[in-house]
Amino acid sequence: MSRLKLTDILVTVVISIAFGLVYKIWGPLYYALKPLGFHLDQFIYGMWFIAAIVAFLVIRKPGVALLAEVAASSGEFLMGSEWGLEVLIYGFIQGLFAELVLMAFGYKRSGVIVVSLASIAACTGSLMMDFYKGYIEDLAAWNLALLISMRAAGSIVFSGLLALGIARALERTGVTKILRPASQDDFDTLSQ
Amino acid sequence: MPIQFDNKMTWLHRINPSVKLLGLACLFVVVLFIHNLNVMVLFALGPAILFLFFTGHPFKRILLFSIPFLLIFLSTSSSMILFGKGESTLFKWGLIHITEESLYRGIHLGFRALIYAMLGLTFALTTSQVLLFYSLMQQLKLNPKYAYSFMAGIRLIPIMIEELTTIKYARTVRGIQNTFTVRGILSSIKGYSIPLLSQSIRRAYRIAVAMEAKRFTDSRKRTYYYQTGFSRYDLIFIAYFALFLSLVIFISGHYPLFPVVDVRSL
Amino acid sequence: MPIISSFEKLRLKFPGTKKLLFEDLSLSFKKGEKVLLLGPSGCGKSTLLQALSGLIPNSIEVPIKFDRCTYPDSWGFVFQDPDTQFCMPYADEEIAFVLENLQVPREQMPKRISELLSLVGLDLNDSHSRIHTFSGGMKQRLAIASVLAIDPEVLFFDEPTAMLDSEGTKKIWETVKKISADKTVIIVEHKIEHVIDFIDRIILFDAAGTIIADGRPESVFNSYRTEFEKYGIWFPGVWDQYKATAPTYKTTDFQIKRELFLENFKGFRNKETKIKIKHAEAESADWIAVTGKNGAGKSTLLLSLIQLLKTSGTYQVNGRNITRNKDISSEAGFVFQNPELQFVANTVFDELAITFRQKHDGEELIEKKVSELLMLFNLANQRDLHPYQLSMGQKRRLSVATAVAQNPAILLLDEPTFGQDSKNTFAVLELLESYRKSGHIIIMATHDRQIIQHFATKVWNVIDSEVVVKEAKIPTAAEAGHAYSI
Ligand SMILES: Nc1ncnc2c1ncn2[C@@H]1O[C@H](COP(=O)(O)OP(=O)(O)OP(=O)(O)O)[C@@H](O)[C@H]1O
Ligand SMILES: Nc1ncnc2c1ncn2[C@@H]1O[C@H](COP(=O)(O)OP(=O)(O)OP(=O)(O)O)[C@@H](O)[C@H]1O
Ligand SMILES: [Mg+2]
Ligand SMILES: [Mg+2]
Repeated sequence: MSRLKLTDILVTVVISIAFGLVYKIWGPLYYALKPLGFHLDQFIYGMWFIAAIVAFLVIRKPGVALLAEVAASSGEFLMGSEWGLEVLIYGFIQGLFAELVLMAFGYKRSGVIVVSLASIAACTGSLMMDFYKGYIEDLAAWNLALLISMRAAGSIVFSGLLALGIARALERTGVTKILRPASQDDFDTLSQ
Repeated sequence: MPIQFDNKMTWLHRINPSVKLLGLACLFVVVLFIHNLNVMVLFALGPAILFLFFTGHPFKRILLFSIPFLLIFLSTSSSMILFGKGESTLFKWGLIHITEESLYRGIHLGFRALIYAMLGLTFALTTSQVLLFYSLMQQLKLNPKYAYSFMAGIRLIPIMIEELTTIKYARTVRGIQNTFTVRGILSSIKGYSIPLLSQSIRRAYRIAVAMEAKRFTDSRKRTYYYQTGFSRYDLIFIAYFALFLSLVIFISGHYPLFPVVDVRSL
Repeated sequence: MPIISSFEKLRLKFPGTKKLLFEDLSLSFKKGEKVLLLGPSGCGKSTLLQALSGLIPNSIEVPIKFDRCTYPDSWGFVFQDPDTQFCMPYADEEIAFVLENLQVPREQMPKRISELLSLVGLDLNDSHSRIHTFSGGMKQRLAIASVLAIDPEVLFFDEPTAMLDSEGTKKIWETVKKISADKTVIIVEHKIEHVIDFIDRIILFDAAGTIIADGRPESVFNSYRTEFEKYGIWFPGVWDQYKATAPTYKTTDFQIKRELFLENFKGFRNKETKIKIKHAEAESADWIAVTGKNGAGKSTLLLSLIQLLKTSGTYQVNGRNITRNKDISSEAGFVFQNPELQFVANTVFDELAITFRQKHDGEELIEKKVSELLMLFNLANQRDLHPYQLSMGQKRRLSVATAVAQNPAILLLDEPTFGQDSKNTFAVLELLESYRKSGHIIIMATHDRQIIQHFATKVWNVIDSEVVVKEAKIPTAAEAGHAYSI
């Protein structure tokens, strides 16, 4: 596994902290939706995995997804999150699960499918934490099923499709070029 | 830094940040293993006392910060109360089925969320971020590459917020109007978020280059401008929670508020 | 003297571009030399410094190839952009960061920090000050202080004084002189007047990045005069020559007379008054130079005039009260001090096209208008680059072009000529002059006293957040010999 360079780490952290700001705003929004019922709140839960995916799509190196999710949640934590330290632990688990999926594809693929799978993995991670912490298995069965499917669908929409959209728009600004190593082509033209 | 007010230093500020963070992590696990409603409710007093009286912030501001907590409590507990499983029905109306079990479980969950929230905010209000990362490098041997990246990242938060204003300025000066149709709003969101991200990336990249130009290397051998160490406040902090927890367990064993012992086995 | 830094047959190319920036460039520096790199804007001076220090390719991955090279053992680098050199929130912490990297014992740090700060003339009440609230000039001094902390063998300066007032510039170069007796110093700088008596070698580049002259300053200036003129590079006496040949514009009769009126006007930053004007006016064909030391409040004044900051008092344009940005935006164009703040599009072309697209011009017309502007501002080869990929001077020109594209009645420009070679400086100034003569109002912050002498009709001197209005008189021949003090 190639080690991350300072530029990679700093860029990941900064992207994540930008998303950390979004995460912080997302908290009150989540609580505002909660009383509406039907687990509408669960649908927007997916936003909390987006840093991992966007950072990976920008840098495409091992470890970035995990680092991004930890960084985003620390940013959220240091800004005084409603969930306190919990966000750090959730962030770590979610990032780890997303990272595992990306690793399984050798960090090579970045299409809709892989990205959605990574989001669902992160979603699974968050659900596992909830099983332990929130007694969600004690919800009535229909309610639990609704919760899970809402959260999974939201993950695909927010941290899957939205992340992909953002990454592609960033690609078009040309900013990602500075982060990628120069291609062999470029070296070849040097020697002509 | 968004949370930066003029406030007094209290003994909570003087605790070693790593100790404080690890202490919180332990409390997180401890609270996770509290399944007794009596213990949970009484234990909530511990963080509450610190949060209300020892952060060094004016009481008015603390009360302002407390408003979201009420929301958290209500919303965390309500979905379990309204939709949880259980036998002894208290109330039933359509899909809503409140049982004694789900009521207790809901209150239990609400208190747990409340404890986490108070601990987290107390930490954020009483810890200097720069000192936190210095302490993580010195006491927990965090790789400086990560620590300084985080510090640089945190330094950029106000700059990013200002950047939003700047993008607004640039759009104003360049005569780009926001329209309030769906397409208009979407394009505004894109018009703000993509420049913000791409500029943050470029800025981060240049800062990393500048850091390397200032001889920042992978090596962990370095001296520190701020020396963080241990003090009696660390002991006070640990003792406070240890004693409090023992006291709570004792009281709830002898004078239970609720008839419940374990919210899981109801 | 031993060679301390060199390249043999350096080739360098930015990914995605077709042309090589350097093709088989060879150069070397001896220990202790003080060298000035001169060349037109965009010829690759900044890039070369980064390659010489090894930042390219170690930190910045740009394809590079050479037959042989020598890197200095220890070096320091001061960058062009004051905003992206720091990683810590406070001034003392930033210098301490360098000292930590060098493993200086903690007990020595506070003393070193205050020494370094006073060495560069950054007199803070408390060294624990937030960098975020510094003016551009203060930031740049801090950057120099933190580089001096390395105590390096070789110092690379990439236009370190672009943002500084003349006093600050002089002080910086005096400081550099003082500390660099035994050091090698390699400088890229357009404002040559203060470095010229300090350097002992000049390397002159043409627009394609090849060396056209290399030698002692006097001999280079004397023997390559035509090249300097051809490529539009600063040389001593260029202003005298320009003034002698400067085109004169006839004042056309402008139909609409415009005026700007300010009384008891105040501009605020974070609820603090940061600029005050008792009374000031401007009318068509005025060119107002806003001057003052670093941090005096020039940018604040311009931002207040375009209503991006909160203001109070009377502010009228053509008799209309101005209280919001909306009231002024159709009348005025604005150029930010930091050109990057100006950009909203992904390519140089789109950046200029935006203005015309808003007017719903047809694509063909847009193509024509934008191409004209690109030619005018010498950016035609860069039309598909992202604005951030441009060199400093190119960015600056693009930002001015975006403001000019709107063809506004009032032009507010915050140091539009810094970091620019002479050809482009004069081109921009002449363009502005033609605007002025056709009845526009130009309000421009600048540190350049030559510009003030030659072009300004009035001077608004900002002293400690307060504007003092003065007439800018054209100096007589006798006065021109002396420093024109404002
Ligand atoms: N990442 C990049 N991709 C493509 N072209 C680039 C990139 N960075 C710089 N360039 C181009 O390379 C050339 C050299 O840039 P450089 O910044 O070295 O110029 P410079 O001589 O320092 O100019 P100035 O005096 O205006 O600062 C410029 O024409 C610029 O447009
Ligand atoms: N974003 C900001 N927030 C708060 N204070 C600021 C900010 N930017 C500048 N200031 C302060 O406002 C004052 C005026 O700054 P301004 O940038 O207007 O100076 P200036 O004359 O343009 O200097 P320079 O020649 O360095 O560009 C300074 O004291 C500066 O510290
Ligand atoms: Mg340059
Ligand atoms: Mg300014």
